[in-house]
Amino acid sequence: MEPIISIRNLRKSFGSKEVLRDINLDIYKGEIIGYIGPNGAGKSTTVKIILGLVGDYSGDIKIFGEDIRNSGVEYKRRIGYVPETADIYENLTGREYLTFIGELYGMEHEEANMKAERLMDLFGIKNVYDARISSYSKGMKQKTLLISALINNPDILFLDEPLNGMDANSVMVFKEVMAELVDKGKTIFYSSHIMDVVEKISKRIILINGGEIIADGSFEEIKGQSIDGSLEEIFNQLTGFEEHERIAKDIVATIEGAI
Amino acid sequence: MKDFKILKFLDLFKSLFNKLGIDYQLMRKILQVKLLLDGRRISTVLATQKTNKKKEEDKNNFIRSLGMYLLMGVFIIIFVVIGRHYLFQMTITFSIIMFFLMTSLIADFSSVLLDIKDKEILLSRPVKNRTLNVAKILHISMYISMITLAIAGPSLIVSFFRHGLTFFLIYLVEILLVSLFVIILTALIYLLVLRFSSGEKLKDIINYVQIGLTIAMSLGYQLVMRVFNYIDIRTMEYKASFWKYFLPPIWFSAPFELLLNKNYSNYIIIYSILALVVPIVSIIIYIKLIPTFERNLQKFNSTDGKSKDKNKITILLSKILCRDKDERTFFRFSTNMLRNERSFKLKVYPSLGLAVIFPFFMIISMNFRDFANIVNTKLYLWIYMSFMMIPAVVVSLGYSGNYKGAWIYETIPARDKSSINKGALKAAIVSLFMPVYLLVSIGFLILYRMEIIDQLIVVGINMFLFIIIIFNRMGEFLPFSKAFQVSENPSGGVKVFFTLFLMAGFALLHFIITMIPYGTYIYIPLGLIGSKLFWKRAIS
Repeated sequence: MEPIISIRNLRKSFGSKEVLRDINLDIYKGEIIGYIGPNGAGKSTTVKIILGLVGDYSGDIKIFGEDIRNSGVEYKRRIGYVPETADIYENLTGREYLTFIGELYGMEHEEANMKAERLMDLFGIKNVYDARISSYSKGMKQKTLLISALINNPDILFLDEPLNGMDANSVMVFKEVMAELVDKGKTIFYSSHIMDVVEKISKRIILINGGEIIADGSFEEIKGQSIDGSLEEIFNQLTGFEEHERIAKDIVATIEGAI
Repeated sequence: MKDFKILKFLDLFKSLFNKLGIDYQLMRKILQVKLLLDGRRISTVLATQKTNKKKEEDKNNFIRSLGMYLLMGVFIIIFVVIGRHYLFQMTITFSIIMFFLMTSLIADFSSVLLDIKDKEILLSRPVKNRTLNVAKILHISMYISMITLAIAGPSLIVSFFRHGLTFFLIYLVEILLVSLFVIILTALIYLLVLRFSSGEKLKDIINYVQIGLTIAMSLGYQLVMRVFNYIDIRTMEYKASFWKYFLPPIWFSAPFELLLNKNYSNYIIIYSILALVVPIVSIIIYIKLIPTFERNLQKFNSTDGKSKDKNKITILLSKILCRDKDERTFFRFSTNMLRNERSFKLKVYPSLGLAVIFPFFMIISMNFRDFANIVNTKLYLWIYMSFMMIPAVVVSLGYSGNYKGAWIYETIPARDKSSINKGALKAAIVSLFMPVYLLVSIGFLILYRMEIIDQLIVVGINMFLFIIIIFNRMGEFLPFSKAFQVSENPSGGVKVFFTLFLMAGFALLHFIITMIPYGTYIYIPLGLIGSKLFWKRAIS
């Protein structure tokens, strides 16, 4: 089977700082990938390059079998994207924003409106559909972002901390949604710092550190590479972080004014 | 969603846009959203606290500032109708038009040109870079054309009746060229700056370039008025010095001379060609350079370098100047905000720069010949020109690019909200007004060979009083709690007239004081006590 995303020798520098050094990846249809790594490891840069938001990289990226340098913007019609720190036009209402995004994907206004309203309803926030986004709570905003990424029925989803601010019930619903989507043959690229979730939902985990992939495989395979333990512990070990207890003690001591 | 008339107008050019490889439908959508956003006030956490009266005022600020431009436009009519020496008249006309266009572009629309927020929302969707860029340019152009219409419209209409159809048509075409040229020129300047730097420093550089440009434009405008000295106008002999080829307003005035006065001198022909060719070439260069621009814009987000703690002096000052603990805290906070926030600096620093330069400029422009004798004059009263900046700065204190941070005011246990305002005002006095006052004073001390220290102290006291009055009248808000909006100019409006009167009043007061023997020595202690009492009564 041909990979749906294929990355070869991807390198990217901002000035003299190298943020990605030689990333190689093949991702297939119907995969759900946990893309993890410490802050500043290059996770969002990778996604941004794939989406064409960051240019000037070296290496090759093929999506749906076509080099994104040549495929113009059309491939984005089949991609949904929830960035970590998402900008959103907060002065628009949910209706205005979501139909606008739908129309950017080439949907008809009516269709986008109907779909958005229905999704808002299903996510339990229909009551704010006509309120300005600036008045939304964090969870509501997050749901709106998710809807804006799903409204075009994309084949690939890039989700960066998608559960941010959502309540437990909504989280449960959305996890189920992701599982269903994958069953339907969608591909999900899931990036998060919450290891328990990643461990549970991902069929494949990619750990990136310092701009390089340092582990790639199912949870069991990665476990085999290092010690036993939770993904969190593996993460700590692979990224060379062992001092959490001492640091925690120091923090509490500082809060109490002992130091 | 609301449909805008201007978009219906754009629909006429649909096929043209499509031919240029722009997805017209998408671009229209984007513009529609942008216009919708411009029309909406952001409801902040504190919105409920604001008085209702204030809210309504805010809404049509852009329309109101258009009124100011319209006034300017009526004024310009004089230059257009006064005679048939087109080269002279139209140079002045175009200088004024270009000046206003460029300053408003730099002050109010830079944020649109340099926006990278759009990118993430829109370019992650199937939207072409080019479509977004054209949408951006059109968005700015809409406002600029409204401003242009206000400034040039009146004289354009009058010109038809005074000089006939040909003049009218040339003028119309040239107005279009000029506004296009100004937009592109601004964008190109940014492009140039973006090439040579990166990260945070880049933002600072752009910031200072914007500030510098605004100041330079103001001075340049004064300068053009002087290009033709009196002898020139009387004899109507134009000397085509080499450097005059670099003044765009002259180019644009040449076609009138060429076509209407049948003046076929070489320089007139060259100017006319420049007027036509340069705007068009600049557009082509800009379109070619857009990818570079975009790439460099990405540097905007990158951070580098280490930071130092620069707060020692501020802490010391806060201890000297503020007795109340909350006030002290907010003095420091405000000082840091004033120092660090670029959108704030951009709104405020140009007026500070002008405030320093203007008094000297007025003296020079009076063609005062005998500088040796200046000591015996009262030309120092021109310092009061500096006061013009104060209202704009005071009003700007209420705004911030990070206005949302203002929620902290609600959560802190500050007993008394007035200490917030006091701290902020003191910070503004120390880090904005004092430097201006000192710079101007030093300049005048040098001019007057140290003779007027007492007069400068009077000016200082008056300035302080002026600040208190302005703050009392216009400064009712929590600092840094409102958003700067594209369509809104916090410094504009009717308040200008109040300010001018007050400013003239203080200058007059000072003049009267100098007429009274020992007037200054009587006034200084009185003023000091007065301002102390006044401060207590007015700011609390």
